Amino acid sequence: MANALGMYRTVKRLGIPDSNIILMLADDASCNSRNKFPGSVYANPGRHLDLYGENIEVDYRGYEVTVENFIRVLTGRMDPSVPRSKRLLSDERSNIFVYMTGHGGNEFLKFQDNEEISAFDIADAFEQMYQKKRYNEIFFMIDTCQANTMFSKLYSPNILATGSSGLGENSYSHANDNDIGVAVIDAFTHYVLEFMEEINKTSTVSMQELFNSIDVTKINSHPGVRSDLFSRPLDKTRITDFFGGVAQVEILPPAEPLVASEEEPEPEHRATFHPPARLVKSESSIASWLKEQKTLRSWASVSLLAAGVGWVLSKK
Amino acid sequence: MLLGYRLIWPATLLHLCLAVLGSQSELFTEKLTINSLQDGKVASKFTFTALLKGASPRDPKTLDGEDESQHYTLFPLALGQILREYGVTELHLTLNAGNWNYDRWGYPGESGVGTGAELWAWMGDGASKTVDERWKGLRNALAGLFCASLGSLDELRTTSPAESFVPEGSLPRWDAAHQIRHASLPSEHVCTENLTPFLKLLPCKSLSGIASLLNPHRLFDADWHGMGVHVLWHEGEGVEVRLTFQAVSDPLRSLLGKKQDWSFQSLYDRTIHRACPVAQSSEVVVSLPTNAVYAIQPEPHAVERNLAVYDVNTIDKPLNIRLIWPDPFTYPLEYHSDSTPFSVKRMLRGSSQAWGQLSVVITNHRSTEVKTLYLETMPWLVQFYLHTIQTRVNGVIKDGVFSNLTYIPSVPHSRPTTFQVLLTLPPKSTVEITMEVTKAFLRYTEHPPDAQRGWDLPPAVFTPVEVMENGSSSPPLMGRIYSSTLLVDLATPDFSMPYNVIIFTCSVVAFSFGSIFNLLTRKFAVLRFPPDNAQ
Repeated sequence: MANALGMYRTVKRLGIPDSNIILMLADDASCNSRNKFPGSVYANPGRHLDLYGENIEVDYRGYEVTVENFIRVLTGRMDPSVPRSKRLLSDERSNIFVYMTGHGGNEFLKFQDNEEISAFDIADAFEQMYQKKRYNEIFFMIDTCQANTMFSKLYSPNILATGSSGLGENSYSHANDNDIGVAVIDAFTHYVLEFMEEINKTSTVSMQELFNSIDVTKINSHPGVRSDLFSRPLDKTRITDFFGGVAQVEILPPAEPLVASEEEPEPEHRATFHPPARLVKSESSIASWLKEQKTLRSWASVSLLAAGVGWVLSKK
Repeated sequence: MLLGYRLIWPATLLHLCLAVLGSQSELFTEKLTINSLQDGKVASKFTFTALLKGASPRDPKTLDGEDESQHYTLFPLALGQILREYGVTELHLTLNAGNWNYDRWGYPGESGVGTGAELWAWMGDGASKTVDERWKGLRNALAGLFCASLGSLDELRTTSPAESFVPEGSLPRWDAAHQIRHASLPSEHVCTENLTPFLKLLPCKSLSGIASLLNPHRLFDADWHGMGVHVLWHEGEGVEVRLTFQAVSDPLRSLLGKKQDWSFQSLYDRTIHRACPVAQSSEVVVSLPTNAVYAIQPEPHAVERNLAVYDVNTIDKPLNIRLIWPDPFTYPLEYHSDSTPFSVKRMLRGSSQAWGQLSVVITNHRSTEVKTLYLETMPWLVQFYLHTIQTRVNGVIKDGVFSNLTYIPSVPHSRPTTFQVLLTLPPKSTVEITMEVTKAFLRYTEHPPDAQRGWDLPPAVFTPVEVMENGSSSPPLMGRIYSSTLLVDLATPDFSMPYNVIIFTCSVVAFSFGSIFNLLTRKFAVLRFPPDNAQ
């Protein structure tokens, strides 16, 4: 939980407003009556910095944090009454930073200790986002055991991915707080956040420098970077392209009637309202198609079985 | 030039503030009430009221058309938009953590103290969208605004108990009748992410005035805490939004001296440095102890009937009110509860996962007969057997306690039970109601991720009423009384069972198919070796 809150604090510090951040927290650790420090979550043993703070907006919490809701957020297939704060209102000029953490394994990540999201699910969701023009570039970061397997199945363009550990490796936690009695943060996230503390909105530090800063001996696992889908060189890609809300003014030629000041693409932004009717329709058609496919599959399996039995009989 | 601009800005702002105060179309008042309780705890209640004068709720018939523009200066726009979008006349949302102890703490300042989230709204009918559609939109919109899981207050939890939840304001006389929708989610917790949007609705945020005391780290440390949003319409006055926050803090927990002393600094870890300039009135009311020696600092502006009143707008800042007792606190041997007519205990008995017994024990402390409405809005997870109801008065089975029973049975997987009855509690007696219940057997996918924890059941609601001669019940004497919530343990499957079944079936199929296939495709032949080779 401190991992995700640390990232939340960092992107918020770098200028991204709460309306552009979708924070999903399955635990209520901060206000749980068993928390010795109510309303607080700490990421370091000395408890210097309260990550929960006094100004936080959690968009999905508790039982709402499910694989289904996560994929719905990414792909934008939502009920029309879902409020804007729970939607990813992005378009083809938005840069999106996706950070996931939890318990995982080879090509899966657990949600709520109950269900899993697989590497294929994420890859397909990103592809759907690409086809729907919901992003310009995605930076996908994951901190879990065998994290690098999670981005191995991605196939959509303009995605940069990084993970904390390779196949067969564990991701280790970083520090224990003896008063709280648990490890407070994971090593990979800790060193990423430590690096990010040096960054401000005007920084020109590149992604390559972030990846180079991670020391394998300190985190006890081999972080992975996947940039083959990404079109820009990493040493020319600024960290603030994904972590910061940096406003830039574009001056359009005077032929245009309006001079628009556009914000540079930034994570999770921009209101593109898909007409709700269309959304509902597409969902129901998918459902009926799935149903058809299901009957088709069941008949196919029956015929396959029949063919197998026939083959055995004929052999005899 | 630059200096000139610097001076102009505050002047303009001041002018704007004065204009707001002068216009009087919107009124904002804030109030903090602090009570010392019998058991040494301190109850504080923050109330922020914004009144939109002359406004009226939106008639649902006009929902399809263009709405009038909304220009508010003090009234929260984010909430106003939701109210007008869904044509809501009256709305009450509370998010609480903990059990309100009526016997020790008395009746709360705000009546909605049920554990978890509770939302109820009165909406006019007659729109092209039904009340249920708008109710769904409303709870989703509020879920987004207050960062709570109110979207889960779905039709599995929605009831329409009109008698127990009478409107607190007035309802406009439109052609179509008003309808109520009520739902509660006892497992919902309240935390900083709920307080953040709450503070954003206030005109001064948490920067000045009484709201600057709302420090999440101390409030969520309190023994009981809860926030509420109430929207009502007063005929002839306008639409009122009342935002409340209540907390029960324990000064005895932190101090080593075992004294009941408190101050703003000790309760909230903050003091008031500035007054909220747009607040019409901003006052702190401290109820003073009646039969003890105490000292209060600073000197209050007025003392009326053992209530000390401070006007935050005029008093010297920083304001840190302190109440000091010279003597250490001694716990009373017996608690007296004058403000609540009866106390309630509710239990779910039985160790079985298939059935149980619901038991409600109500003790009437008064020497007069008390009539009260008893309401259960139970999700279908627990189903009642009404024929097994038994009422005992002081341990003796007795009829005549029940009257005016309303019962809407639950429908599995879709509708909760609504069970409402008028109880007549004899003077100075204990009434026990028992009823057999069955516990539902859920589908595999209906279980929450932490299924073994059990399901929280909403509190029962008691509304004391006075019954008229003609049999109709008058508006309640006082607010509702909530019982504690219950936790029901339903039969949970072994969640790894499907995997075991798949693995086991696959093994059986592979084994049988393999061996049958082997048997069928192999050609068996008897080989005879020549006898001389055998040697």
